[in-house]
Amino acid sequence: MSGPNENPIIYADASKCVGCKQCELACSQVHSGYTLTKAKASQYQLVSRIHVVRVDGVNVPMQCRQCEDAPCAHACPTGAIYQDDGIVKINENRCVGCKVCVMACPFGAIEVVKEGIIEDGRTNQGVAKKCNLCAHQIDDEGQFHCGCVEACPTGALSLVTITDYRRRLMLARAREASHPTSIYKG
Amino acid sequence: MPQKVSIDKSMDLLVPLAKKEGIETPWDRYEKMQPQCGFGELGVCCRICWKGPCRIDPFGKGPDRGICGATADVIVARNFIRMQAAGAAAHSEHGRHIALAMEHLGKHGLEAYSIKDETKLMSIAKTLGLETDGRSTQEIALEVALTSLQDYMNQDSSTGCIWLTKTLPAKRLEKLKSLGVMPHNIDAIITNIMGRTHVGCEADHVNLLMGGMRGALADYTGMVLATELSDAMFGTPQPVVTKANLGVLKENAVNIALHGHNPLLSEVICDMAIKLNDEAIAAGAPEGINVVGVCCTGNEIMLRRGIPLATNYLSQDIALLTGAIDSMVVDVQCIMPSIASVGSCFHTEIITTVPDNKITGARHVEFSEEDALEKAKEIVQLSIEAFKRRDPARVNIPNVKETAIVGFSKESIVAALSKVNAEDPLKPLIDAIVSGDIKGVALFAGCNNTRVKHDDSFMTIVKELLAKNVLVLATGCGAGAFAKNGMMTQEAARKYCGESLLGVLTAVGTAAGLKGPLPPVLHMGSCVDNSRAVQVASALANALDVDLSDLPVVASAPEMMSEKAVSIGSWAVALGFPTHIGIVPQITGAPGVVKVLTEDAKKLFGGYFIPEPDPMAAAGKLYEAIMEKRQGLGI
Repeated sequence: MSGPNENPIIYADASKCVGCKQCELACSQVHSGYTLTKAKASQYQLVSRIHVVRVDGVNVPMQCRQCEDAPCAHACPTGAIYQDDGIVKINENRCVGCKVCVMACPFGAIEVVKEGIIEDGRTNQGVAKKCNLCAHQIDDEGQFHCGCVEACPTGALSLVTITDYRRRLMLARAREASHPTSIYKG
Repeated sequence: MPQKVSIDKSMDLLVPLAKKEGIETPWDRYEKMQPQCGFGELGVCCRICWKGPCRIDPFGKGPDRGICGATADVIVARNFIRMQAAGAAAHSEHGRHIALAMEHLGKHGLEAYSIKDETKLMSIAKTLGLETDGRSTQEIALEVALTSLQDYMNQDSSTGCIWLTKTLPAKRLEKLKSLGVMPHNIDAIITNIMGRTHVGCEADHVNLLMGGMRGALADYTGMVLATELSDAMFGTPQPVVTKANLGVLKENAVNIALHGHNPLLSEVICDMAIKLNDEAIAAGAPEGINVVGVCCTGNEIMLRRGIPLATNYLSQDIALLTGAIDSMVVDVQCIMPSIASVGSCFHTEIITTVPDNKITGARHVEFSEEDALEKAKEIVQLSIEAFKRRDPARVNIPNVKETAIVGFSKESIVAALSKVNAEDPLKPLIDAIVSGDIKGVALFAGCNNTRVKHDDSFMTIVKELLAKNVLVLATGCGAGAFAKNGMMTQEAARKYCGESLLGVLTAVGTAAGLKGPLPPVLHMGSCVDNSRAVQVASALANALDVDLSDLPVVASAPEMMSEKAVSIGSWAVALGFPTHIGIVPQITGAPGVVKVLTEDAKKLFGGYFIPEPDPMAAAGKLYEAIMEKRQGLGI
């Protein structure tokens, strides 16, 4: 139902999140191609683009919302952040790790950090990292395969297109409106 | 995390100080750990074989059993009884250590140890049915030790453990036997639990849980023998007035904090500290050596020697923030590895002493009964040396200390009661319970836990129960919480006890020469000393010719965390006591297990678990349980 450039998002149902952080483990592995075991053995620094936080007794998985008019993209002084096919992407080669995007993001979804084997050098090689909906895993049919969504053992995470999501909401509210149960009816 | 992490006033000074100094506290680590894995919280994660980890979907859509086919009930029951076994192992190692020391004492004598309480040794010999006439103390001690060690060696499963069968009422023993949960050998029962929970063995949650209950009763056996033999070697606690909370540290003294559990270490260090006091003065500490206690070692030396208690479990590493602890000397159990890193931020010597309880980053001075004096001397001298390195600018001792009247062993309670009625000491207590002046007895035990505000649940529940005239006993870090927060004073008795309870406490206290009431919370000792409360309950049951489960006695562990606490709570249930736990146990992913432990247990044992995180609601449920037992007795 979605148009070619429509922005899919990861939908997190906090009521189903048990806080196991399997999404964090999967995210870091899918993006690096390193398994946990291999990463530990080779001192490869894994980075997760999703973080489960606990507030007021509820677990909430948080990651990039793929904003349509992304403040991070506007703020980036090197033009490293841009929107492409509905996904807000980072060109890591252009990123200098200035953290302006971190400050611009209202969700705290961007982290500046080195992913991989840290080499000695003049800098710590940190660059901006955030969820890109596992763009590297989109299959030939255009289907998304997000590491976190596929790993979640309780189905708390799912990939939705906003049109489908809105349509479902509209149908649900329309169904309520079509049945005269409102207290405002005589 | 709770807005305020603790009600302990010392924390008001030290937690902000930790933040300022950039030193991590348990609450910082707790916050970093959030959210904690829900599968683990529900208990439905199985790591017993390497096909796993397997976990059951709590929403009923994913896997409903492990790869081997184990259901949530089986997984949770296996995990739970392995915790009971670990708890039993910890206490029983403690007991074995003391029994072996007593054996060596009996065989060839030990320079650092003696039988300090011969009366207690004779009473133990009588309890165990051993001959005492015409035998020397040393001979009796040897036989007591060897008899106790039989509880680790007996291979005849039709004969129950000696310490268990000699210390519980006959009615309860019959019940335990009929349910098939009578342990015959502590080690064998722990091994049995490990074996039956191996992959591909038992897969019936009810039978697993009953096997765990037998493990919990093995735990009781190890505990009672540890307590009783310790009393013979180091003295049976008698009422003593002392202080509690971090204000007991002294700026002008070498402060040695003894932490852990086993009196074999702490007692000798206390002796050595007295001997080397002048060395400390010569080193520039005008007040000499000030020994203080932490956790259950703190309770042991507090009750036997009146040594002040510095703090309890959760605030152990924060205590080092005072900058005034020159050494923290530890043995076994409940020692946070973090003390090594916090200690390294100060001049403090962190000293481990037990060959199988080392901590990376701490100094290890290996201690044994044979060379106890030499090692104790080394430890005390290291503490004096550390004192010389102390930075006075970093000393922050909170001005918080409370008076604490402690030392309520079964013997000292009976002695106090005998001042009221010498012929039949238990009669005043029984009369008070029958008349309703005392509604019942609540034993508070267990640890602290970052999941709830430090010490708060203990204090909230106890105030409710005291106001309703429930007699309160306490052990372990629960007792530590009460001591630190001023619940072991005569003023607290007047402030918090209901009228009729205060009347009884005043009558007994006055008769015992305290010129006023007993404190509202009677401190019975360390967590291993929960067995003391059973001795009191058994005496009451025998006097009334009823079973333990008939008594209006309840237990509560509002802030529990350790496997030992799981085991203690379980034997409290097996002995017939409604037992509150204030932390949601890691069993709730298995409805069958929850039903056995919270409902079916009531029919089987008379005791059952009452999980209730809300302290006010818990107080209500404990009181209801007491009233239900009273109704059963027709009083």
